Amino acid sequence: MFGTDLTIDQDILSIGSSKHDAKSRPIGSGCLHAPPLDLNPTSFPLAPCPDPASFTRSNFASACGNSDSHQQVKFAKGTTTLAFKFDGGIIVSVDSRSTMGAYIASGTVKKVIEINPFLLGTMAGGAADCSFWERNLGMQCRMYELRNKKRISVASASKLLANTMSSYRGYGLSMGTMITGWDETGPQLYYVDDDGTRLHGRYFSVGSGSTYAYGVLDTYYRPDLTVEEAIDLGKRAIYHACHRDAMSGSINNLYHVTKDGWVKIHAIDVNDMHYEFLEEKANAMSS
Amino acid sequence: MSILEYNGAAIIAMTGSNCVAIASDNRLGIQYQTVAMDFRKIFRMNDSLYVGLAGLATDVQTLDQLLRFRMGLYELREEREMSPEVFTNMLSNLLYEKRFGPYFAEPIIAGLDEKNMPYLATMDLIGAISKTKDFVVAGTAEGNMYGMCETLWKPDMEKEELFETISQALLASVDRDALSGWGGVVHLITPEGVTTRHLKGRQD
Amino acid sequence: MGDSAYSFSLTTFSRTGKLLQIEYALNAVSNGRTALGIAAKDGVVICTDKKFGSSLVDSGEVRKVERVHEGAGMVYAGVGPDYRVLVRKARKSAQSYHLEYKEPKPITQLVKSTASVMQEYTQSGGVRPFGVSLLVAGLDADNTPRLYQVDPSGAYFGWKATAIGKNYVNAKNFLEKRYQDDMELEDAIHTALLTLREGFEGEMNGGNIEVGVVGLDGKFRVLTESEVQDYLDEAN
Repeated sequence: MFGTDLTIDQDILSIGSSKHDAKSRPIGSGCLHAPPLDLNPTSFPLAPCPDPASFTRSNFASACGNSDSHQQVKFAKGTTTLAFKFDGGIIVSVDSRSTMGAYIASGTVKKVIEINPFLLGTMAGGAADCSFWERNLGMQCRMYELRNKKRISVASASKLLANTMSSYRGYGLSMGTMITGWDETGPQLYYVDDDGTRLHGRYFSVGSGSTYAYGVLDTYYRPDLTVEEAIDLGKRAIYHACHRDAMSGSINNLYHVTKDGWVKIHAIDVNDMHYEFLEEKANAMSS
Repeated sequence: MSILEYNGAAIIAMTGSNCVAIASDNRLGIQYQTVAMDFRKIFRMNDSLYVGLAGLATDVQTLDQLLRFRMGLYELREEREMSPEVFTNMLSNLLYEKRFGPYFAEPIIAGLDEKNMPYLATMDLIGAISKTKDFVVAGTAEGNMYGMCETLWKPDMEKEELFETISQALLASVDRDALSGWGGVVHLITPEGVTTRHLKGRQD
Repeated sequence: MGDSAYSFSLTTFSRTGKLLQIEYALNAVSNGRTALGIAAKDGVVICTDKKFGSSLVDSGEVRKVERVHEGAGMVYAGVGPDYRVLVRKARKSAQSYHLEYKEPKPITQLVKSTASVMQEYTQSGGVRPFGVSLLVAGLDADNTPRLYQVDPSGAYFGWKATAIGKNYVNAKNFLEKRYQDDMELEDAIHTALLTLREGFEGEMNGGNIEVGVVGLDGKFRVLTESEVQDYLDEAN
């Protein structure tokens, strides 16, 4: 349990502890009377019904696609995010569109969450779920640093998030994220999602436009890309996804992670990229 | 998702002083996947009559063919052009014929009548006609387009101003709609003839 | 009809290339009471007489000039019951046109569709041609007054003025002399009645003459007995 009554001796890395915690606690009982601003993740008030998980899942899920079309409450979503490891570090590249059905709710969403100077998380699926739990992850990582006087590994950080996801499995959370960073073992990249999946890999893409981005990544990815080439690849993959996927678009935010932490490389309008690449294609044809 | 939103569309028509304009976006998608950026949604019926069809792409194309078929027969039979009014009634009947298995498309009719006065009409997918004097919209960006038209439209615009207004209304509307956009086309109908212009729009 | 002994068309070519049934039908027309019409510059008039073998017939119950839709009407010479069939079909086609386009059926279209019906009856199996010629009056799509004649063969003609039925040759000769291009409807009505009188035995009155007019307002109207009487009185 995290929050005010957190005790020092409780090992935050004891795998599955938070899950057992959540399970052993009579979830929902008495939670209805929880103080309004208590952000303790294991004490959310639950619906007063026999099966609160299924109630939440069927009424407040923020799943991708149209699976929430029956719901009264629909959440903003629709995304393309990608990240890949290469010899020069890690590139994290995302779009910035947020849609509610066909309506474009925003074109300036920050989908890269700066957890700390060495850790980045990406956002796909439910915006609220991603930002809340990744911020929560930032808190847990900071607690680890204070407790152990060293930075948390990306493996551990991603595991913390995966554990949280596991403990809420079945409650309709929607989150597809990539946790990246540079730790003692070098550049690391993990994929974590709402059903508790946690994968280690060289490159991932998440969101409604991920298939388009994978198309570009699969074709052009090499581990020995130069930093410049890698940035261009990250940019191109997002452009192609934004071009074809109606739920992705607007601005491409791109980060580069090195041993010194992450740097934001650019924020470019995808529409400008279209004409840049169009000109490039025309030049290639004429020469 | 409604079958009317399966492919995505945005169509606006507006009146001006002795002129009308009709505009549409260029996108054809399959739900959220953009398939084509040069899809035709506005069809010329004669020099002073255009019809825009928003909805399921297959029905849009079938309706265009049926309308041309029926108009062609009418023009051969009666040796005259069909007036916008008559065209509207014919289309309404065409749609109601399929009352219990409709074409999934909402038409917008824009043209000039026999006295070169602006004519605008729209109907739902089973042919309920509604005529307006200012503007009509149809498609997935309907809400957005109503918002833009309500703010930008004013009476008795000259043709250049009308072109500018309808273009801005369309582009601003589709930029907030995931299912339409990728450029557009505007037809400006005047007694002297029709000017067609292509609009450059955002490509995402 | 398909199995009957008369499922073939009764209107067949003779060895000399004539369709005798149609010629017989035309004979039936020329035996019928005279009907005539004049297209003036601001309207059309059609008229006929209602003369019967017996004075006991209630002529008020006999209608020969009929309205087809708001702006068009017709009259005939020939076999009365055949005419009623054509009027019914013409009215129905006018209504379905209005249902489709919310516009009155233009006179040209009305004539064409009626002529098609009459042609069909010269080629279909088991039927005979209509024993009538029609005069159809109305306004064209561009508001010009038009007068058409439709024959049993399905042939149709546009006329400035013409006559059908008994004595039609004399009536046409008379009309040729009296017709003028800038004629107004009022003159046309008088001329029509005058022409009718040429071949009329006995005294013409509101009860034995029927007149239908359509003006530039696009409303076809069958004149009342007293209106007809007034026109007749004016002429005297």
